[in-house]
Amino acid sequence: MSGLATNLRVVGALGMRSIRQTFRRPQLMAPIVVFPTILLAIQTGGAGSAINLPGFPPVQSFLQFMLAGAMMQSLMLAGNSGGIALAVDIEMGFTDRLFAAPISRYTIVLGRLAGTAALGLFAALWFLAIGLLFGAHIEGGVPGALLAIALVTVTAMAVGGIGAAIALRTGSASVVQGLFPLVLVVLFLSSAFFPVGLMIQPAQTIAEYNPFSFIVEGVREPIISGIDAGDTAEALLAIAGIVVLGLVLSARALRHRLRVG
Amino acid sequence: MASTAIAVAGLERSFDEVLAVQGIDLEVGEGEIYGFLGPNGAGKTTTVRMLTTLLLPTGGRATVAGHDVVSEARRVRASIGVALQEAALDPLMTGRELIRLQATLQGLPGGEGKRRADDLLERVDLVAAADRRVGTYSGGMQRRLDLAAALVHEPRVLFLDEPTTGLDPVSRKTIWEEVRTLNDEGTTVFLTTQYLEEADQLADNVGIIDSGRIVAEGTPASLKAEIGHPHIRLQLAEGSIAEAEEICARIGPLLPPVDGRTVMVEVEHGAGDIPRVVRALDDAGIEVGSLELVRPSLDDVFVAKTGYHLEHETEGSSEGEEEAVKA
Amino acid sequence: MEAAAIPAQQAIPAWRTNLATIGALMARAKNELLRVPGAAIPGVLAPTIFFLGLNGVFGALTQLKGFTTGSYESFIVPISMLQGAGFTGAAAGVNLARDIEQGWLDRLLVSPAPRWVLLAGTVLAASARSLIPATFVLTIALLLGAGWPGIDGLLVTYFMVAAMAAVAACWGSMLALHFKSQSAAPLMQAGMMALILTTTAYAPLALLQGWLADVARVNPVTQVVEAARQGFVGEVTWAETWPGLLALAGLLAALGALALREMRRTGE
Repeated sequence: MSGLATNLRVVGALGMRSIRQTFRRPQLMAPIVVFPTILLAIQTGGAGSAINLPGFPPVQSFLQFMLAGAMMQSLMLAGNSGGIALAVDIEMGFTDRLFAAPISRYTIVLGRLAGTAALGLFAALWFLAIGLLFGAHIEGGVPGALLAIALVTVTAMAVGGIGAAIALRTGSASVVQGLFPLVLVVLFLSSAFFPVGLMIQPAQTIAEYNPFSFIVEGVREPIISGIDAGDTAEALLAIAGIVVLGLVLSARALRHRLRVG
Repeated sequence: MASTAIAVAGLERSFDEVLAVQGIDLEVGEGEIYGFLGPNGAGKTTTVRMLTTLLLPTGGRATVAGHDVVSEARRVRASIGVALQEAALDPLMTGRELIRLQATLQGLPGGEGKRRADDLLERVDLVAAADRRVGTYSGGMQRRLDLAAALVHEPRVLFLDEPTTGLDPVSRKTIWEEVRTLNDEGTTVFLTTQYLEEADQLADNVGIIDSGRIVAEGTPASLKAEIGHPHIRLQLAEGSIAEAEEICARIGPLLPPVDGRTVMVEVEHGAGDIPRVVRALDDAGIEVGSLELVRPSLDDVFVAKTGYHLEHETEGSSEGEEEAVKA
Repeated sequence: MEAAAIPAQQAIPAWRTNLATIGALMARAKNELLRVPGAAIPGVLAPTIFFLGLNGVFGALTQLKGFTTGSYESFIVPISMLQGAGFTGAAAGVNLARDIEQGWLDRLLVSPAPRWVLLAGTVLAASARSLIPATFVLTIALLLGAGWPGIDGLLVTYFMVAAMAAVAACWGSMLALHFKSQSAAPLMQAGMMALILTTTAYAPLALLQGWLADVARVNPVTQVVEAARQGFVGEVTWAETWPGLLALAGLLAALGALALREMRRTGE
């Protein structure tokens, strides 16, 4: 049996496991989707009048604007949660079993990412459904929706890679969990919740350079106006950057973990 | 003041469909040590929780120190000291702080609480560790602290739920001595345990509980006597068995032989019959290799009443207490 | 041995014993902050991040007509302070759940102390603790340019914060006693967050949209928010203050009663 075939099967098996783990425990899944939904509802109602501000991009409603941000929030929580799950596996010794097997080390990370991707997909579908339910139009139509879903799913995996790297490095679920506030900080300092041009300094400058802002715009454009090649390209570039970062960190963390045991 | 410290009639507790305690009756006199013996899951802790007002009975009645556990719960709480199975300690507090908090909870004024804390810490030998955090204490130290806290208001009735489970033999003996001392001072002690030796050693009266019912009750001696008399087991030189059996048969009924070198004779007076047997065999010139007095144990009582052995018996006796006497 | 317990209790008036017990329980509660390194950080960090984040993101809202202040910092700092109170109170509930899981509560329940005294210890400790994140957020806000609320405004805000923490502690305690497990923690936190944010938290009532406007109108915490915000956006008046006091009194009475009921029912 070729090494590649084995590795793919292992990734598939671990992937199924992580997907099953995720959806089998609704009380763990709920915060990832419910919390951003509640925040979406509150912020739409509380700051919705912002669309009247001069300089606010033309949107059908504030909800339409915010959907991308809610998806972002969900996928980042999903990445964090995937990291926690991997850390728990490490704490319980499950990963030792995998390390001892004649498979590539990366399958462990990739398998975990499958679960994160599934969550990201779920989040994208959920918020699109919420948006449609409450009257938001997807200006980009079906292609736009598909693009948004694809970007969210891939970003979830990218963020999951970083979460996995942290899990591998620290081996502690509580440390990974403690990074949750960081998720909020990164989102606040991006264009997730508001147009960058209308943010207050210094948050505005940070948001301008935050790679997550590009990703948010890539997801948002298809919803509020239509597919834009430039925005999509920028988003993909940002995602690629995060993927590379995740890979590098994961590789180093894996080496560290195997050294430390 | 009632001379009965604890009176229980038809006490019942069900959890959804499960009847954990199925109508038990018992009485504990003042100044008594009552041992509640049974395996895990028998209902011991549930019973204790009902008697200490932590759990409401779903049937029956109980009075502790003369007060009903349901309608006069507060008065019960003022009269009892409790050391539960899971030592209810706060790892961030020091031992001294914990006892002083307990004193406050019991309504003792500040100065009094301080004085009693000092006394009790000395009594349970925790003075050196008194100002260290409880989280740094060993299991034995935590139990001693728990016991000390339970005594801060000099309760009339003390409830100890498995006080020595998980402790090493030395710590166990320390707790036993403390319980005996307390009892000598007049405190009634209601103690649950899964250790036969503990019940045997400490209790004036023992109640054996299994699957929520009391299956036997009485003094350790009377319970064992119910089961049968002790017997003397003799190891003899080959060839002398037949004669020894004849001699012993005159002293008491013989038990079926287990091998060709052992004679077992039932004796009514236990150790008191040993000299008779020894003299009789000596007179006949029979050499005795070893002699053991085998008494029925509480485990034998348990087996007789429930059909199985009490589990978790890590202390020596499981077949019976043995006093080996080299002849 | 004579029963020394009952005479000792009769010698001291009940109110003094109760007060001493509440004090002792509050003293124990402070160990969490002082003896566990870093324990205070999450409680302080969460509202601070929210304050900085909301300010950076939605600050431009003050340009809209309907805002009585041009400083979004001034507008939302009382929200962040109340959020800190909600977080602290909910955390008190989580601690109680932990105490229940570890058997500590049994020690308190087996003592003759009245149940309301045991609850008061938890609740008042939370109120006292809430002043820490509140002060931290306020300091940051003032440094960032929030308007000074005046002594009267400050006192009113701090009072609202402490009382809100008590409300949150009652809520958290009620859930802790009902579920007897720390897994109820997210519900404790989320409940308070929802309560505080479904008010005029982000914007004045006239600028709220859709369902939020309706909810904020009936949410009693809106009155608390408005009362706490007064000094930061204008003058402190009795007319703005008493509705907040009434709302807090009502919430405390309701949640306190529910928590006490759960405490009394622990043996069932």
